[in-house]
Amino acid sequence: MKRRSTFAVTAVGAIAALVISACSSSGTSSSTPTSTTGAAAFNAGVTSVVNPSSAKGGTLTLALSSTPDSFDPGNTYYAWVLDFVNLYTMPLFMYKSCPGTCGAQLVPDLATDLGTVSDNGLTWTFHIQPNVKYEDGTVVTSQDVKYAVERTYDRTVMANGPTYYQVLLADPKYPGPYKDRAKNLMGLTSVQTPDATTIVFHLLAPFPDLPYVLAFPNTSPVPAAKDTGSNYQLHPLSTGPYKFQSYQLNKQLTLVPNTQWNPATDPNAKQLPSKIVVNLNVNQADVDNRLLAGDIAADAQGTGVAAAAQARILANPNLKANADSAFTGRAWFAYLNTKVAPMNNLHCREAVEYAVNKVNVQTAWGGPAAGGAIASTLMPPVIAGYKSFDLYNALSKPTGDITSAKQQLAQCGQPNGFSTNLSYRSDRPKETAAATAIQASLAQAGIKVTLKGFPSGSYYTNFAGAPAYVHSHDIGIAMGGWSADWPNGFGFLDELVAGNTIAPTGNTNIAELNDPVINNLFTKSNTITGDARTAIWSQIDMQLMKDAAVLPMVYARSLDYRAPSMTNAYIWDQFGMYNYAVLGVKS
Amino acid sequence: MVIEGRSLGQIAWMRLRRDKVAMGGGIVVVFLILLAIVGPHLVQNPNVYNSNLIDPTFLRPKGAFGGISVAHPLGVEPQTGRDLLARIVVGAQYSLLIAFLATVLAVSIGTFFGVVAGYSGGWLDSLIARAMDVFLAFPLLVFALALAGVIPSSAFGLSGNSLRIAVLIFVIGFFNWPYMGRIIRGQTLSLREREFVDAARSLGARGPYILFRELLPNLVAPILVYATLLIPTNILFEAALDYLGVGLYVPTPTWGQMLSSAVQNGFYSIDPEYMLVPGLTIFITVMAFNLFGDGLRDALDPRTR
Repeated sequence: MKRRSTFAVTAVGAIAALVISACSSSGTSSSTPTSTTGAAAFNAGVTSVVNPSSAKGGTLTLALSSTPDSFDPGNTYYAWVLDFVNLYTMPLFMYKSCPGTCGAQLVPDLATDLGTVSDNGLTWTFHIQPNVKYEDGTVVTSQDVKYAVERTYDRTVMANGPTYYQVLLADPKYPGPYKDRAKNLMGLTSVQTPDATTIVFHLLAPFPDLPYVLAFPNTSPVPAAKDTGSNYQLHPLSTGPYKFQSYQLNKQLTLVPNTQWNPATDPNAKQLPSKIVVNLNVNQADVDNRLLAGDIAADAQGTGVAAAAQARILANPNLKANADSAFTGRAWFAYLNTKVAPMNNLHCREAVEYAVNKVNVQTAWGGPAAGGAIASTLMPPVIAGYKSFDLYNALSKPTGDITSAKQQLAQCGQPNGFSTNLSYRSDRPKETAAATAIQASLAQAGIKVTLKGFPSGSYYTNFAGAPAYVHSHDIGIAMGGWSADWPNGFGFLDELVAGNTIAPTGNTNIAELNDPVINNLFTKSNTITGDARTAIWSQIDMQLMKDAAVLPMVYARSLDYRAPSMTNAYIWDQFGMYNYAVLGVKS
Repeated sequence: MVIEGRSLGQIAWMRLRRDKVAMGGGIVVVFLILLAIVGPHLVQNPNVYNSNLIDPTFLRPKGAFGGISVAHPLGVEPQTGRDLLARIVVGAQYSLLIAFLATVLAVSIGTFFGVVAGYSGGWLDSLIARAMDVFLAFPLLVFALALAGVIPSSAFGLSGNSLRIAVLIFVIGFFNWPYMGRIIRGQTLSLREREFVDAARSLGARGPYILFRELLPNLVAPILVYATLLIPTNILFEAALDYLGVGLYVPTPTWGQMLSSAVQNGFYSIDPEYMLVPGLTIFITVMAFNLFGDGLRDALDPRTR
């Protein structure tokens, strides 16, 4: 009898550990949950409310594979968080809680109406509801709304979120309340609060879309005395139907009903479950398996299930009835940086545009059913004013046009190709697959791409969205996705390509495109209205493609699964995912 | 008639040849090494996407058994259509390279400290023995995860994958030396009291001479045996680190990463073959090295039978 070595034993132990960890991270159930209502059908949630109910109680559990950029209403730019924060915030405006295109309609939330604008278009006056209370019982005042706007000016604390105020309002140099030396921290002179229910915004130039900007949760009131800066995300003071009970960073958030919330002041939200739990950083396959097993109600990220779950859902009619293949209004694309050599040369960027095999990329995103249609423009077709064009043969030669790519490389002075880096979010399996697809097809044109993976939570704060980092690490290509900040071309394009939106951190114009033609078109768009204004969006789209600042990948579809136990489920048009603020659970 | 004396090596080789199981393992090991050296030049590019081989609705390979065909004998990866054979073969190169070099590192450090501790005795022995205890008690996996997290993208004149390979070799090799060290120390302790050492010492030989000319040659057998047995442990450890995402960069094909993507993307449920291929490869490799190592030990040191 031979004595087995201790090495063999440890080896077996290591295998066992590997297998055990593999199993525990994917506690799958092969049982198929059966739908118990007739209302559920494939794509039913796109146009109607599935399982309508006003039953209270139960725990609504959500999960996602990554983490939020922040739960602070003033410091987030991820679509799912913008959707999710309606559970605990009341911004001045929000999108109407209803299925279909109705959900793209702007309605007052904390505000009483859509406001009034002065004749010269420079002064907007809004009134807020007088009897809205925080979770601690104090009454919300317009000063709190002003303070919430002020704190977004300090990009060292509030790194994420849009940069509209700094561009639109009359004192762009305001440093934010944390550095403000004014005694009462009310140093932002372009926003005034004549009384506790009135707030006035003074603009540098007319801007017809201002109410849309104020629909960002960064207008949700924050009392200055309760602001803890970057720690505020651990417990934002709630004005919505739910409040934070506990939040373990990167792990789990638990919300419980806010007893001070008055449904009469907030008709677009509901208070049905007795508890809402969000599990963060859960392996995507695990999220999908628990979802299909009915353990969780929805994938909070709202960007659809991964490949394996997709196959299971589409192959099984019972599962398919609980799924929505939503056209999300989102675009997946890659920024081509205009400042990082050699990508700062237009022809080198054009070579990238031509060379990428768009079919491989589309398959990586999930194929036509769950990934989306191959894109040749940045702006997706749902945006009014969209025009189709195909500058780089994305539609005519979808498997890549290496010949044209080589010609562009020669004109760029890099006939043998060049090397660059590509940043992507490594905790997102589809984005990782798309990144490697781009890398593989660019290799065929001689362009050597090194992949740099980063976590979603800090992708915009510290890496791709920080130009200093991008420059010092030669990131020529950065993966990105975008849905419109509000449903028109300005809301889709401005933060992506307008020169005045380039920010030192939380930057969303990652290509650092500062094209006077585009900047002038944006300026012009604010002086005109109607069809003439709508026509401008396609011109900007065309110009940015001529600049080759963005490599479009797909106009996204996502295959979302709603657990049969989830009530009031529908895809909220503005965000292209379920409306978390109205969900309930069957007990 | 002349009776030729047979050297120890010849005797061991004869014994080894008679051990069919060990020879089987040895043949697989030699095959794997050859595969890792020449294989990557023979297979197709492991990173090329073949979306035409993927069912666009279900994202799994078209055809049975993970899309096995003449062009892709082991099938293709779901969602991307990358050739599995190429990814396994190129992965073998990285796996074996890292495991071998890490073993060399562990064996070098372990032998040095083991011999020194065992021969010198006294406070130096206690010191080294305690150090080995500390290393053995160290949560290696946690340390490796933390280290991979803080390592910048370029350091020590290396960057990207070459830096990652260096870090993996260091982490795996450096923290495995005490296993080797303890065995060598034990062997040295018993050898040091043997007559031939006493004889050398009485003839005036000094420490280094005794260490390297008298003791070390007698330690070659255990070093060889345990090095062979350390390699599969290191292969597994490298796969585990890759699985946990602190191994080589995407899209470098490694076995651990293939397993990880099969699990994390849930591919195992739509295309089990994709998980089976890297899993079996790791299994066969570890098995072969262990069988060969055991046989080698039996051949070199019959008393352990």
